[in-house]
Amino acid sequence: MSTKQGRMGWLFASPYLIYALVFFLIPLVWSLFLSFTDWNLISPTFSFVGIENYTEALKSPGVQSAFWVTFKFMAVFVPLVVASSIVVALIVQGLPRFKGLFLIGFFLPYLASGVVSSLIVKGLLSYNSPVNEFLRNAWGLDIDWLGSPFAALFVVAVIIAWKFTGYYALILTSGFESIGTEIYEAAMIDGVSPWQRFWKITFPLLYPALFTVLILSIGVTFGIFTEVYQLTGGGPNFATNTWQMEIFTRAFSNLQAGYASAIAIIASVVTFISIFIIRKLLEMWGKRNGWS
Amino acid sequence: MGGAKKKGLWFRYLLAVVLLLIMIFPYIYMVLNSFADWDQVDKKLFPTEYTLQSYQWLLGGGEAVIPRPWLNAFFNSFIVSGASTFLMMVTAIMVAYALAKMPFKGRDTINNFILFQMFFPAIILLIPTFLVIQRIGMYDSYWGMILPKAMSLWAVFMYTNFFKAIPDTFIEAAKLDGASELQIMYKIVMPMSKSITTVIFLFLFMERWTELLWDMLVAKSDNMLTLNVLLSQMFGPYGGYPGPMYAASVLLTLPIIIIFLLFAKKFQEGMQFTLK
Repeated sequence: MSTKQGRMGWLFASPYLIYALVFFLIPLVWSLFLSFTDWNLISPTFSFVGIENYTEALKSPGVQSAFWVTFKFMAVFVPLVVASSIVVALIVQGLPRFKGLFLIGFFLPYLASGVVSSLIVKGLLSYNSPVNEFLRNAWGLDIDWLGSPFAALFVVAVIIAWKFTGYYALILTSGFESIGTEIYEAAMIDGVSPWQRFWKITFPLLYPALFTVLILSIGVTFGIFTEVYQLTGGGPNFATNTWQMEIFTRAFSNLQAGYASAIAIIASVVTFISIFIIRKLLEMWGKRNGWS
Repeated sequence: MGGAKKKGLWFRYLLAVVLLLIMIFPYIYMVLNSFADWDQVDKKLFPTEYTLQSYQWLLGGGEAVIPRPWLNAFFNSFIVSGASTFLMMVTAIMVAYALAKMPFKGRDTINNFILFQMFFPAIILLIPTFLVIQRIGMYDSYWGMILPKAMSLWAVFMYTNFFKAIPDTFIEAAKLDGASELQIMYKIVMPMSKSITTVIFLFLFMERWTELLWDMLVAKSDNMLTLNVLLSQMFGPYGGYPGPMYAASVLLTLPIIIIFLLFAKKFQEGMQFTLK
């Protein structure tokens, strides 16, 4: 290892070093510092308030709702997107021709901006929209989609599931490719039913790809913002108030920069611990069933 | 047996087509409504009267403070996403090459730190990053939108793994021929990385093009807004103009779909690689 090469290495790595300093380490320290102040984002002065922001935050309905809403989104969104992407992957997988073309088609929703998909859904679900006209006339149903807590959460979860289905199906099909046809042929000879075939052969072999999809989709639920901001603003009555929404509202609408920094730190800790625990549980579940 | 199998196949294709149509229905709805007569927008699943009025409104300027706000925002989106993606690619390639192919003291430390930062919840950085941008005088500027998104750790991670798989003998042979590090990257490493470069480029560009939160915080003046931010601001107060909002959605979605379809074949090859 010559010194010249060492210097070149540092030179090539320097963009990261600068980036990590300016956009990671400095903000990180600043955030911690702010979380112990009552700064309002504009005023030149502020005072230290100790851990008051943290105790205040833990008691507030905004933070408590953000904690639960994330898990509610997880409970609706993850099963939805996993099921739909498995269905898409299963259907596309067996096609001898145009498989790639279909996969590209199913991937297209991933390209939509959250603003655009929210706009379309808002149009589709407005009071006089064809969907609601139909529901009213056919079944006498009058649903206030974005005004009732569960429906609003469900609508947002569906939009995001729509976006990610094709992407996850692509991941799953590469998992299918690792399953050889000989296994199926052997099972066919042994007279295994399609249902058994799915659970005893396909599912265990698919598990590594499925694990990736599960981890990715769980990660998504901790970062929901655009659709909620656009459609509900976190409402009705905090029913869709995610961490990002809560921090954004506090910091940039209410100008409570110090308080919002404390929430951001709480959110990061909760996110980190939750993902860690869920990951470990998933790994244990896979191991116990002998899938991984 | 053969007949039954063929029938089953037909059924599968039918199922796939129907499912695909359902999945892309929101796009179809968007396009149809952007051309629909203003009386029919959001009133019918398939409008019957069509007009170009929405696009005329959009391109002619609509009602706003600055002339042609939508075209201006479209232009801003390209500048911001283009510059940001370009920088993310260049920095990722440089750093990944150093981490994979240039032995130097402290390399493992940097590598571990990148992994640590990758799994660190980014939400904590939102407010202070905004303050950093404000303090260095980049609030309400292109650079303010570009610089905090000038590097992607995910891209560094992907490239590092890919470069590690390239045999050292290629690089050493080139070095003996007197090639510099930059020449090696440009002439040997990059041509070998075409499909993974396509995948990384597409994901970065898609993500940057549809970014809302950050651009919304940094861009304040009317002439600085990206198309995504302008659309986000307008579809509430401009509820009276649903047609043009659909036209703006088409304007926002079309470029990214075209770029994706241009690279779709390479993208699929690359995806197969990255998933293995």
